[in-house]
Amino acid sequence: MGEARVAGQGMAMPSFDPVSLEIMWSRLIGIADEMWVAILRTAVSTIIGAAQDFGCEILDADASSVAHSNRSMPVFNLVMPTVTHGVIARYPVEQMRPGDVYITNDPWLCAGHLDDIALITPVFRNDRVVAFTVSVAHTTSIGGSLDRRTVRDIYEDGLRIPILKLYDAGRPNETAFAFIRENVRTPDLVLTDIEAQLTANGLGAERVLAFLDEYDLPDLKAVSEVIQRYSERAMREAIAAVPDGIYEHEVWADGLDEPVYLRCRITVRGDEILVDYTGSDRQRPRGGINCTLTYTRAHTAYPLKCLLSPTVPANEGTFRPIQVIAPEGSILNCTMPASVGSRTRTGWHLHALIFGALASALPDRVQAGNGLMHSIHVYGQEPDGRFYNAHFFTAGGRGASLGRDGIGRNCFPSSARNVPVEIFESRTPVLVRRRSLRPDSAGLGQWRGAFGHQLEFSPLPGYPLPVNVFIDPDRLRFPPKGLAGGQDGPCTQVIVNGRRLDPEELRSGQITLERPDDRLELHLPGGAGYGPLERRDPELVAADLRSGLVSPERLPESLRWAVERLLEAQTGVAVTETPR
Amino acid sequence: MSAPRYAVSIDVGGTFTDLVLFDIEAGTVAELHKVLTDPQRPARAVLQGWRELLELAGIEPCQVAEVVHSTTLVTNALVERRGARTALLTTPGFRDVLEIGIEQLYDIYDLFAPYPEPLVPRHWRREVRERVSRDGTVLEPLDESGVLAQVDELVAEGVESIAVSLLHAYRNPAHERRIAQLIAARYPEVTVSLSSQVAPLIGEYERTSTVVADAYVKPLLRRYLADLRDALQAEGFTGQLFLVLSSGGVTTLEAAMDFPVRLLESGPAAGAFAASFYGRLAGHEDVLSLDMGGTTAKACLIERGTPAVVRMLEVDRVHRFKPGSGLPVMTPTVDLIEIGAGGGSIASIDRLGLLKVGPQSAGADPGPACYGLGGDQPTVTDANLLLGYLDPANFLGGRMALRPEQARRAVARCIAEPLGLELDAAARGVHAIVNENMAQAARTHIIERNRDPRSLAMVAFGGAGPAHAASVARILGIRRVIVPLGAGVASAIGALTAPLAMPFTRTYLTTLEDCDWSAVRDLYQEMRAAAARALAPVAGEAALVETRAVDLRFTGQYHELRVTIPEELELSAGSKDALEAAFARRYREVYGRVPSGLAVEALNWHLTVSVPRPSFRLAPEPVGPPDPAPALRGERSVYFDEPEPGERRCTVYDRYRLAPGMRLAGPAIVEERETTVVVPPGWCAEVDTYRTLILERADGEAVE
Repeated sequence: MGEARVAGQGMAMPSFDPVSLEIMWSRLIGIADEMWVAILRTAVSTIIGAAQDFGCEILDADASSVAHSNRSMPVFNLVMPTVTHGVIARYPVEQMRPGDVYITNDPWLCAGHLDDIALITPVFRNDRVVAFTVSVAHTTSIGGSLDRRTVRDIYEDGLRIPILKLYDAGRPNETAFAFIRENVRTPDLVLTDIEAQLTANGLGAERVLAFLDEYDLPDLKAVSEVIQRYSERAMREAIAAVPDGIYEHEVWADGLDEPVYLRCRITVRGDEILVDYTGSDRQRPRGGINCTLTYTRAHTAYPLKCLLSPTVPANEGTFRPIQVIAPEGSILNCTMPASVGSRTRTGWHLHALIFGALASALPDRVQAGNGLMHSIHVYGQEPDGRFYNAHFFTAGGRGASLGRDGIGRNCFPSSARNVPVEIFESRTPVLVRRRSLRPDSAGLGQWRGAFGHQLEFSPLPGYPLPVNVFIDPDRLRFPPKGLAGGQDGPCTQVIVNGRRLDPEELRSGQITLERPDDRLELHLPGGAGYGPLERRDPELVAADLRSGLVSPERLPESLRWAVERLLEAQTGVAVTETPR
Repeated sequence: MSAPRYAVSIDVGGTFTDLVLFDIEAGTVAELHKVLTDPQRPARAVLQGWRELLELAGIEPCQVAEVVHSTTLVTNALVERRGARTALLTTPGFRDVLEIGIEQLYDIYDLFAPYPEPLVPRHWRREVRERVSRDGTVLEPLDESGVLAQVDELVAEGVESIAVSLLHAYRNPAHERRIAQLIAARYPEVTVSLSSQVAPLIGEYERTSTVVADAYVKPLLRRYLADLRDALQAEGFTGQLFLVLSSGGVTTLEAAMDFPVRLLESGPAAGAFAASFYGRLAGHEDVLSLDMGGTTAKACLIERGTPAVVRMLEVDRVHRFKPGSGLPVMTPTVDLIEIGAGGGSIASIDRLGLLKVGPQSAGADPGPACYGLGGDQPTVTDANLLLGYLDPANFLGGRMALRPEQARRAVARCIAEPLGLELDAAARGVHAIVNENMAQAARTHIIERNRDPRSLAMVAFGGAGPAHAASVARILGIRRVIVPLGAGVASAIGALTAPLAMPFTRTYLTTLEDCDWSAVRDLYQEMRAAAARALAPVAGEAALVETRAVDLRFTGQYHELRVTIPEELELSAGSKDALEAAFARRYREVYGRVPSGLAVEALNWHLTVSVPRPSFRLAPEPVGPPDPAPALRGERSVYFDEPEPGERRCTVYDRYRLAPGMRLAGPAIVEERETTVVVPPGWCAEVDTYRTLILERADGEAVE
């Protein structure tokens, strides 16, 4: 077929017919997917190999993103151009040489905390940089404190890697490798994961060159401009469909010593959108809950993309019409030497801020409050001297939306996955006594939130004590908020040996299980509800009651009555219906 | 009465049931037949097809030595939720495993991406008191009276089938087995599936999902297979009846009844075996199998003459075939990828004004616009008709007349006019994009398995495959395409070539350093015993052949590499070095470098047991002169994009008159009853000694 040739003929003028464009676009995304798979299969840490906390992208020579992997961590896709611009500012493109690979984990340039390491590989054709392949992955250790809630500044967060040449014209930078090796836990895992990123970037570079050869293109410029224009147009059309105006909202996040106030003022004018976080709290001295502006931008653009243009592949063009402002020194634009390790405690609330602000303009697309993902970390030394070190991810429930109950089974706004109990138990001296849906954890409403989870941990019987568990919970103070009259979800409960800890007792996230019978329970919130509960379809209420996850006492009299009548009518039918 | 010398293969698909009669002695396909599938009573359509097939060939049921059967029945029961009323018994605290899943967004920008409903509703998911630890130690004994109380209630509520999935049961199955005994003693009519038997693998969500799927389809499949066996016996058939497993091996009827979930990809697996067979016949061990039907296409990488078998598949993807949107089933399955790209795939324009094809399909009803059955959406088949690839008068051997006018109207209205394209440009676009979709999916599938597509040949079959094969091959950089005769029923032929083999797997997670080798030997002993029980009735005097393998990885990794355990290796403390060395070799092969200083751990231990079976072989025919003129059927105008887009005169050949040795040059069309082969410009084709058509890209042409 001639699509390839058509593309070749079109190279003088950056315009492609719809057929060729669709094909080339898919191919570039396919290349990013190949990079992603290469990392997944060659990484050695659980956080990358199991929880899939990484992303891959292809950028043009101007450091504008062209295509990211379908499976990339959403926020990483947004920061890869920023970090590449940072590299170019430090090492101008004209001075780059084939075989160079750049590295950094700078939170202000990259993904907002030191754990996320970026590798940037310039792609050369005829002695000229024609593209960049970039990957960002959450390393298994960057040194620093195990108890993230007690960290006071970035130096306690761990090792900061400035923009460096990790490879200089093909030669490894032994100094950089040595510095990393001596400053992280389990250095073999960390360095092998970096190798995985190198492999992916190299593979991506090779594929980009083959792509250019095939279409007889000198570089990515022409195709990237057209692709970006398409995505930009889709985003601009979506913004233009939102009524012009100013949309405001505020939320409270737990913070650590005291709550954090966040506010936004979204200005929609024509086909552009400005998100201004002025008025949000100052940066905090402790606990790593500060967001760098790069990270704030990413967590702003990501939910906007989901709301406005969910089906069009993302790239630089998608995000051009979006502008983000946060005052310097605020918790959404923190400055040195702020600690940033737990920046998700703040950043994961930004989508709620945006959904809340745009609820009146996009009532059918926003979602009520999210229970949020939680992570449990177990680290210690086996009697034989080896170290165990495992993360356990588990999600709260997501909020309801107009016409739909909340969708559980995911960690939005992260694209990580959970860790199976059987695998977690196999790698740690911990017995997970429960991971189930938490009854009455969903905010009710015409549409109810997804249910949160209930977890219970104790030391493995017969294992040397104590066992240390590190937690960093969210939603201790502020529950997921309902929308349009829907009910809030509940708060998170941390319960040790039957006693619920209050937020003040959780300034440290270290829970020490000292005796065989010690129990740590986490009750995570489900999503909030949408719309008034009185309007809920009695059929759905009946199903909720039947599941045992909603107590009848939570229903208003009128609804209980309607459901009882319904159940009466169904008696004998309900028990024999085919399960769905 | 002559001795049984025939084998029959029956492939029940969603639309058609394909039957093949094979003459074992002569090595020839004696008869092919196709009847409509009866989704309500599938055994009836099979029986009708069986009678007609034998009548066409003029043979008696007693002359058939064996019947090999593949079916989509299990998949369809799951997808259409037509299974049994099923309950789940599980460990306290883990009632909701099915609803929690892996908790991953499979589409990062879709706030509303749905997940499939669990097969068991929460009120039928019950906890029974018990607990086993990671190493199999019983921390809390099974509460037997509690089990019976739960089962009493469930049966009273109408439950017909019970799945049991207890934490760490892959390590210690005692509690699950005891539950099965308790149920069998009180309710012998209730079917029971145990996770420790169906999928004894680590990972509670995937294992539970699998055992529940098994329990869900078990009553239905047992009834169907019993009906089929009785009906064939009543006809006078006295031979062996085999079922094709998702892994591509065949098994006995009884073993299939025990674990119906192992039949999920029965048909596609048979197709992959057909591709391996025809690939080998044409001298290619490494091929890409492309099986394109009405609704979907299946692509499968075959290396060293055998399709790879993986341990998981996903059924009932509820969202545009996206991985992650379905129910995982841990069962050995031929490693293939299903793409929403078939003859019935619908072309449309998306929000951006770009042309998209699939994954929605017009199916058989209403079907493509050109069927004239009421479909008004343009499909791939409509585009192929407009481009001249299909002959409206010769579709399905002329049994169904196509209506080009309807196709033209649909393509014009939905594609050409909105995009401001000429009609043929629009049709070319549809054809090109469906090819690109297949190529893209196949490329990812191949590259994820660390192969370069350019090193492969392609075997193309299925009703629509041969019309698209060369174009897909060109995009992938593949230079040779193999199109077997009877490509429309190739899956049924593939079933005849499948080995009589059963795979077994047990999980024992350990570093090689700390491995308890006697425990490993016990696992193998147990698997061997299970294999002997299952295969004894058919093995007779023949010795069972064993292959062992183990999944190894560096500690911390989530992706294993499978390493074959050398036949002579006695599993003992001395095995560590040998296995580590084999792992390092394989690792370097796949990833290019081996990290140092990391411990190697073992996860799954595999045993495949096979029984030698008379090998399926085709008899070669003498090669004649190269001139294809005797097979010439005519000429027509056909659009091609290469070397320049445009219409050109194209010779049309009759596939049945193309004799071994004949050569033809593209552009050409080769027509057979159930499929059409397109030979684009720049390609030539040769008929080999088995009447397989081998398409080849002309030398000297640049390959990507």
